[in-house]
Amino acid sequence: MKLFTASLYTELIKIVAKPRSYIGFIVITAIVALIQFAMWIDGLNFINFITGNVEQTFLIEGKILNGSLVTFIILQTLIVHIPLLIALVTGDLISGESAMGTLRALVSKPISRTALLLSKLCAGGIYTLLILLWLGIISLGLAMYVFGNGDLIVLKSEELIILPSDDLLWRFFCAFGAAFVALMVIASLSLMLSVFSDNSIGPIITTMGIIILFTIIGTMEIPIFDKVKPYLFTTHMIVWRSFFESPVDSSQILHSFLVMVFHITSFITIAIVKFNKKDILT
Amino acid sequence: MNFKISFFNKSLIILLLSFFTGSSIADELPRQYLRAINLKFAQVNNYSASIVVTTEIPFIKMFPIKATIYFKQPDLLRIKSKSIAILPKQNVDQLFKIMADTASYEAYLQGDEPINGSETKLVNIVPISDTSDVVLAKFWIDIKKSVVLKSQITTRTNGTIIANYTYGSNERYALPEKIIFTVDTKKFKIPKAVSADLNNYNAAQNDKAKLGKKGKITIEFSNYLINKGISSELFIK
Repeated sequence: MKLFTASLYTELIKIVAKPRSYIGFIVITAIVALIQFAMWIDGLNFINFITGNVEQTFLIEGKILNGSLVTFIILQTLIVHIPLLIALVTGDLISGESAMGTLRALVSKPISRTALLLSKLCAGGIYTLLILLWLGIISLGLAMYVFGNGDLIVLKSEELIILPSDDLLWRFFCAFGAAFVALMVIASLSLMLSVFSDNSIGPIITTMGIIILFTIIGTMEIPIFDKVKPYLFTTHMIVWRSFFESPVDSSQILHSFLVMVFHITSFITIAIVKFNKKDILT
Repeated sequence: MNFKISFFNKSLIILLLSFFTGSSIADELPRQYLRAINLKFAQVNNYSASIVVTTEIPFIKMFPIKATIYFKQPDLLRIKSKSIAILPKQNVDQLFKIMADTASYEAYLQGDEPINGSETKLVNIVPISDTSDVVLAKFWIDIKKSVVLKSQITTRTNGTIIANYTYGSNERYALPEKIIFTVDTKKFKIPKAVSADLNNYNAAQNDKAKLGKKGKITIEFSNYLINKGISSELFIK
């Protein structure tokens, strides 16, 4: 355990020392600031575009443009991009060592390869958690400060769900928790690909490619893809949105959670098996 | 001069007289019914009330919300709520707005119709002006109590909205305790790119289930404060 903790600490130091680890924080800050600025300047026109259909028949009273809606829009926008930022760091954890020629020295330490891999995964998990915490602070915190609190209109392509402001905080916390599990799928996938590669870029690009491919399949409304969609992990990565349903579909959340845990376990198992057999002498 | 009125001419005069007399009674009766309601409501200079709005629209999911409604004669109305409220475009005062301007419409009595066990007179209102937003208004009036139990108002801008009214202790002012609006809803669709509703493989099935349904908005009134005075500034948004 002591060796594991020491290895975890070392891995965290490595992540902190790499400039690319800060790209995620910078990009998230820039995107959040940009969305909040755009909503502050032109948010009402955006809202009118969405509610125009409804306002032909109904009158909408109350403050629609508020911190809750802006945070929700930010989360929706970033959920496609954050996995890419995570992969930038976790896809490099093993392959980066291979590329730099430090892998042999690393595995010769008095720690099992499995424990070493898991310590790298834990370090990746902590990095993911910090990215999400930062996102939570600047999206929810700043949006509430700038736009104020209010009821949330959940935007869906075929319906609107209006949730009261006093029923939102727990939903945001659960959503961030679900997003963490979803991002751990990406972290474990990129770590697994990292084990198979000896250069840094390959696993990162492959992870991004898989996410983009699966997202495109999930977005296209072609009947043949409908049969495939339930098996894609990207389909279940948006489970955080289920916490903004009314009523919350706990069985669907549990199903998606189990599918994601299955993927994480599978990716880690494959990574451990491969890493234990990995030739470090050539 | 010796007036000799033939049988044909006599019959024609009687027919015309009876027609004109009959039609004026038919026009006057519905106007009397409407006037009685107007008189009741005219006693109200201003009012405020707590309302609970329950929205049942196929493509909107929301909890009932609490709000406060303020009204001041002749036509100031404001609904204040901390929450987001979905209301019918024909507001709660539309009924009185239409009925109040008696010179702007023709009223016709269509017949008797029971509404929830109460006998009502069905009065149709047709605006005189071609440019009026209201195309046709139908009021089911309980003439014993002088209140509207049901209305169907068709306007150029908002289509047809049916409203059912229930009265309580403020019936003497023609102020309802509950109004249920029934509205035809259109299909709601926003681009997935805008909603960022990606990877949602349930969307197509949900979509079909929400087509061609009616929406219902129920407004329940309580804690009426009538003629207690309301500042006009409250109506400035």
